[in-house]
Amino acid sequence: MRVYQVPTHTRLWLVITIIACSLPQLLRGHLWQAGLVVLVMVIRSLADRQRIQLPGKAIRGLLMVGVVGITWITFGRIYGPEAGVALLVSLFSLKYLEVVRQRDAYVVIVLGYFVCATALLFERGPGMFAYVLLCMLLLTTCLIGINHSDTGARPMGHVRRAVAMSLQAVPVMLVLFVLVPRVAPLWNMKIDSGQARTGMSDSMSPGEISELSQSSELAFRVAFDGAIPEKGERYWRGLTLSHFDGRTWQQAIPRGVDKQAYLFQKGGPEPEWHKSLMAQDRGSGYRYQVIMEPTQRTWLFAMKVPVLEQGEAGLARDMRLVASRPISESVGYTVTSYPNLSSAIGLERSDRALMLSLPEDQNVGRRARGLAQQWQLDSSTDADVVKQALRHFREKPFYYTLKPPPLPVDPIDEFLFVTRRGFCEHYASSFTFMMRAAGIPARVVVGYQGGEPNELGSHLLVRQYDAHAWSEVWLEGKGWVRVDPTGAVAPERIEDGLRAALSGNGEDSNVLEGLRSFASSGLLGKLQQWTDYVDFQWQTWVLGYNSQSQMQLLRQLLGSTSPLSIALALFGAITLLLGLYMLVLLRQDRGYRQTPMEREFWRLHQRVAERQGAPLDPGLTPQQLANTIAARWPGAAKPAREWALQYQQALYNPAVLADKRRIRHLRRLRNRLYKLLG
Amino acid sequence: MQALTKALGEVAKVVLGKEDQLKLALTCLMANGHLLIEDLPGMGKTTLAHALARVFQLEYRRVQFTSDMLPADILGVSVFNPNTQDFTLREGPVFTQLLLADEINRATPKTQGALLEAMEERQVTLDGVTRPLPRPFFVVATQNPSDQAGTFVLPESQLDRFLMRISLGYPAPEVELALLAGGDLREQARSLKPVISSDGLVKLSGMVDKVRASHELLDYVQRLMDATRTDDRFVAGLSPRAGLGLLKAARAWALISGRDYAVPEDIQAVWAAVAEHRLSARQGGSVSAMTQSLLQSVPVVRR
Amino acid sequence: MRLPAPIQNYYQRWLSRRLPRSPLVILNQRRIFIFPTGYGFFYLGVASLLFVGGINYENNLVLSLSFLLASLFLVAILHTYQNLSGLGLRNGGSESGYAAESGSLGVTLFSERRDHYCIWLKWEGQAAQQISVPAGTESALWLNLALPRRGRVVAPRMKVESVFPLGLLRTWSYVSLEHYCLAWPTPQASQECPADGGDETVQVVSSGKAGNEEFRGLRSYVAGDSLRRIDWKGYARGTGLNTKLFEDPAGGRLWLNWDALEGVGTEQRLSILCYWVLVLDQQQQPYGLKLPGLTLAPDTGDNHRLRALDALAAYPEFG
Repeated sequence: MRVYQVPTHTRLWLVITIIACSLPQLLRGHLWQAGLVVLVMVIRSLADRQRIQLPGKAIRGLLMVGVVGITWITFGRIYGPEAGVALLVSLFSLKYLEVVRQRDAYVVIVLGYFVCATALLFERGPGMFAYVLLCMLLLTTCLIGINHSDTGARPMGHVRRAVAMSLQAVPVMLVLFVLVPRVAPLWNMKIDSGQARTGMSDSMSPGEISELSQSSELAFRVAFDGAIPEKGERYWRGLTLSHFDGRTWQQAIPRGVDKQAYLFQKGGPEPEWHKSLMAQDRGSGYRYQVIMEPTQRTWLFAMKVPVLEQGEAGLARDMRLVASRPISESVGYTVTSYPNLSSAIGLERSDRALMLSLPEDQNVGRRARGLAQQWQLDSSTDADVVKQALRHFREKPFYYTLKPPPLPVDPIDEFLFVTRRGFCEHYASSFTFMMRAAGIPARVVVGYQGGEPNELGSHLLVRQYDAHAWSEVWLEGKGWVRVDPTGAVAPERIEDGLRAALSGNGEDSNVLEGLRSFASSGLLGKLQQWTDYVDFQWQTWVLGYNSQSQMQLLRQLLGSTSPLSIALALFGAITLLLGLYMLVLLRQDRGYRQTPMEREFWRLHQRVAERQGAPLDPGLTPQQLANTIAARWPGAAKPAREWALQYQQALYNPAVLADKRRIRHLRRLRNRLYKLLG
Repeated sequence: MQALTKALGEVAKVVLGKEDQLKLALTCLMANGHLLIEDLPGMGKTTLAHALARVFQLEYRRVQFTSDMLPADILGVSVFNPNTQDFTLREGPVFTQLLLADEINRATPKTQGALLEAMEERQVTLDGVTRPLPRPFFVVATQNPSDQAGTFVLPESQLDRFLMRISLGYPAPEVELALLAGGDLREQARSLKPVISSDGLVKLSGMVDKVRASHELLDYVQRLMDATRTDDRFVAGLSPRAGLGLLKAARAWALISGRDYAVPEDIQAVWAAVAEHRLSARQGGSVSAMTQSLLQSVPVVRR
Repeated sequence: MRLPAPIQNYYQRWLSRRLPRSPLVILNQRRIFIFPTGYGFFYLGVASLLFVGGINYENNLVLSLSFLLASLFLVAILHTYQNLSGLGLRNGGSESGYAAESGSLGVTLFSERRDHYCIWLKWEGQAAQQISVPAGTESALWLNLALPRRGRVVAPRMKVESVFPLGLLRTWSYVSLEHYCLAWPTPQASQECPADGGDETVQVVSSGKAGNEEFRGLRSYVAGDSLRRIDWKGYARGTGLNTKLFEDPAGGRLWLNWDALEGVGTEQRLSILCYWVLVLDQQQQPYGLKLPGLTLAPDTGDNHRLRALDALAAYPEFG
């Protein structure tokens, strides 16, 4: 009978594979999981050395119950992603206790595939994927090992074969990845990968953004299709804040406006403002793709005025994009921004009321209100008021700093007339306040400004320290116009970024120390640029490859996206690859290459065997081959003998040279024979 | 060359219808090797040896081996002469140019060993005195098929000393008829005309070494050798000595065939005679068929 | 899976047409079949499960993993096929046995170009044996074969299969070697020895051991005569060197004869002859065998016995 035992030369590979596959989960998970794997390996290695018996059914069952129990204690349940994965990994290692037969090893290997897959649910970086590929290689090695039942097989031979097979499989995988149509989820299963990071909140009170600015974490990346706008133009709008209570700015929608009408979702009813926006002449725009890190919020970042090209989001009336769900994992969307479109959206009555609203308490910003009304009286147009205000910021001794003094009583007046030291939020807040006091509709916008280009790719990197706040004012005929009072105080902030704006500023320098940036030169900087580049491409091409980008790519590659052409391309590409492998595999002569003379003989040998329909002995001499031909095809006897004589002379008579001329002659004779053999 | 053809013709007069075996026997002589003939009694072994001796003008002796024979019976012995009252050395039959060792498998291994050693060394040491054997020196040994009762099968190491083993077999019917009509062939063998002198034979065997063998041919021989070693139907593969013997025999065959270079057909012609007796089958079955199957399966031209 | 009889018959006929009998077979695409194993289907199921998971979690990496599994499966088709393709099989030895017992047939596997690992060989419906054939070598394998009746038992169709390297696919081929095994007749005891010739034709000769020789006379010494046979007594008497001559007794050689069993059925005759071959062999008696169309000269020994038994098995067609 066949013995389906796991051969000894594969045991070590199984151990390595089990450890390698569970490692990512063990690092994430609880200590007891790692303990379990160690326990299993110790028991198994003792049993393999015949020190103890392999645990029987009872002990294995006990262990299983124990594992379920601990899982329940740890997670409070035994289902759900975290608990489920913990159970799977434990089962995976426990199964190794009973691996004796080939079938058990098959089960372990299949469990290994699932463990690898779960690792990818929680971490999607290129590094993790490379690691999982390595695990797959090990699993393939095990599969080869358990099927190699020769006891003398060499373990390293399995890896070599596994590497060869994997190298051949990867191109096929790429073809499948690119061409297999992405289907919409059959049912929704989102996993919270726990990547909540720092980011913008939906309100702005003093000190909030300056705190954000101390983080160098990535906020999002932008890849432009074509021209990149000037640095001073890169204002990534996230939120508009219209309600001020004297300390905090908050999001608000005008009284009496339906939320449905305020936010246009694709497929929903189209509000009037959106129709007129779409009807407007757009002018030129910037096309770009944004890959956003998870924020757990719904708003997306874009320049003014964004028109969504690819991705899922609605457009709000304040010209910003809103996603339908909180962004819990990296997401990409493509947008074209038309700066000139901002005039298309009008200011309705209810809007105006909101945009002019100030805190009821007249004591809040009393002096500021006075100053603003003064400017209003002095100026003929709203634009003049804006100019006066900016001049005020520029000419008075305002100071740009990350560490402003606290403003305990009245954040507006204290800042404007006493401390005069502040961060962008202070400037945006007080400026907007004063504009409203001067009767100009205004709002605060928070988002990011700037972004560093990666020299390797054409993308920008926007980090948390690029967080910024500025104002927008409504000017008759122009619509909403961006005004950045920070630029009046510290123009370097806008042109060169935060670091430039704060350098040479003693009290902020220790904060800057902690900020990483591409600005750091040398090898480390280069390395960072590379990592970022790879990460970005990974996000764009691998993680962000969805049905939309797939259709776009296929349209470019195939010219059509009909199911038929995709199917044909899929079939063709795979056939081509497999055919190529077949050629390589079946041609693999081990080491020895035939000389032309030897080929000459074997070609005729093969042809005769084919024509007579029966195999020929390989031990035929040229003469005997000629005799075989003569016996079956008497007509070919003469040239056959002539060929054999020539061949024999060339190969065995040292006095006769087997030069090119002779080989040519032999080939001619052979071709003549071919014809005679029919 | 013509002399060789003529010699063959002469011998064929008394050994009827066995041209191939005759040619092999001649090849063996030319290649300076010893010949083993395996046959039932009465097949013409003696006649063949005798005829060869006549045609090449070789001094010829015949020894009938029996189980009570001692090494001294072959090599020689000091005999006390009662008339002269001293010991005289009586040279054994081995001191000759062509020795017919009849039914060698009837002798004890010790006696067989003495002869085989002499064959290998081409000299004999008696009472501390080493005496060279004449040149040329050939042994034509015969043995009845080894499964007969009361015999000592030659061990493989000894068989290796015979360059070739041939078997004459029963004559074809028409030949047998001629044989019956022709009278005693052994008598006729005595009347054969000498064709080549024994010195001529030495010269001819010198020419064998000049027959050229191309690299491809050597490669073929090597592959054949290798095939016997990897084929586990055989107890053991052929020794390097067998390989050299095969090549030498093939060269001699080429010379007899009138070529100054050897071709694979030469190898194949002598293959069975050179290889069969050195191989033994692991699990029964015909060694001859297995040896022959190697010729079919080992590619002549490397692939 | 059992197919209905007509389809089964048709399939068998188709197989034998497609794979004719031959003493040497090189496996090629005409002869090789390939199909996923149970585990292969399971594996594809796992790949599909991961595909569904990847779609549902909108996780391209999990999706890639399922594609990688599928790709490995595709590549495995080639590798599994390659493991059998180019493998050569030819007749090895053959060991005869008694009818109703079993003999065995040798099969030699050889490979010229590449390694072939973990090949399973079996007659259809019997246990398999495993063998690996590295490139440029030959490996021999003995397969037991049931011998249902006396005579030539032709090798049944042999299944050559392999799941190497991944066990996801099974590739197989049927090989009908032109090879046979001889089944000796079952010995049947009988009182009468069907023999003639020699002095005694009826009972087993118990006296007169082989090699028992009788003195005949003297002749003068010739070089080469054994020293043991020299008449030393006579030499001492001064009569010169003479050699004593002996001769074999004429009798003692038995001929087992087919014709001596007139009136008995063919198989029974062969069985009786077989019995006597064994008896005489055990007693180390030289014996010959006469069958219609074949005569074996008297002899003793293992090889002679085998030859005689094979002759009895092959009757009436001696190859």
